[in-house]
Amino acid sequence: MLNKLLLDFAQWMDAQPWSSSLHESFYLFNWLETTHVMTLMLSLGMLVVIDLRMLGWIMPTVPASKIADRLFVPMIIGFSIMVITGVWLFTAIPIRYTQSIWFRIKLILLFAAFINAVLFHRHLKASAGSWDTAPKPPKRTRTAAALSLSLWAGVVICGRFIAYDWYDCGKDGNSAFINWAAGCIAELPAE
Amino acid sequence: MSVEPFFVWLEASPLGVFMKDLPATFATVEAVHLMALAVLGGTVFATDLRLMNVILRDVPSNTVSEQSYKWFKGALIVLLITGFMMLAGVATKCYGNPYYWTKMYALAAGIVFAMAIKQPLLKQDHATLKPATRYLVALASISIWFLVAASGRWIGFSG
Repeated sequence: MLNKLLLDFAQWMDAQPWSSSLHESFYLFNWLETTHVMTLMLSLGMLVVIDLRMLGWIMPTVPASKIADRLFVPMIIGFSIMVITGVWLFTAIPIRYTQSIWFRIKLILLFAAFINAVLFHRHLKASAGSWDTAPKPPKRTRTAAALSLSLWAGVVICGRFIAYDWYDCGKDGNSAFINWAAGCIAELPAE
Repeated sequence: MSVEPFFVWLEASPLGVFMKDLPATFATVEAVHLMALAVLGGTVFATDLRLMNVILRDVPSNTVSEQSYKWFKGALIVLLITGFMMLAGVATKCYGNPYYWTKMYALAAGIVFAMAIKQPLLKQDHATLKPATRYLVALASISIWFLVAASGRWIGFSG
């Protein structure tokens, strides 16, 4: 039911001229993808520095909340570019992405990383006073930082795997589980 | 002397065969390469934007660059290892790919710049450096790593 709705939406989008023209534009599509990938260096880059500080592995002499606070804006600028280019890329090949198991796992991991970040932010506000200047933050903080890095590693892996057609709907040898998880309804047209 | 035989040999080597053996091998190495790129980018942006007085203005610039450099080196090593592994899988394609060579020259320039120019300069007290020097060093650093990463991405688009 939900899969059908998502597919209907994707099929509608796929029929729009702006979708096909982006898909067919070699330079625009590839530059969007390049921008999407390279903005990792800013968005995930800033996130990694913050998380490494929360693990006590970088800049131990600088208060943890200061690093988190000062790097928040560049990180958000990076993530905004990621979201804009990501959504834009989606509009080029909506049917394939909608039914991609990697795309779906990526979105779930993104959501989990977002929830973790919100909880972590609250935890930081409530308790940082007691350990802010500690070179090595308490265990709970370190666990949250490690979880954040792991979730984002998963996002990167899934993001990269989307490009591969191993489990594309309609491929021979897909298990029932893959077809279910990817929400396969329509077979993909040959590229 | 042409270096082409090396690329042919590399692709036929056990490493080249390993990289092609399973489709997921190459993709997984690519993903690790990207994660290391995020770490490298984070340390480059932290150091360079601090040098430009854009971020972390209330943290000593020397502290930011010293602390970042450790992780920069670690990320660079992972990038070089995973990059070489990917090259082994598609060596003969890369040999004829202009983006591959652009990336290699930019990478060589980036490593020389980071280790032989930027790092010795940043060992001094940053307060004694001219603002223009700090700004230009940071701008050069960001530009060169941008070129390395972007030309790297384009290797895949033109194969």
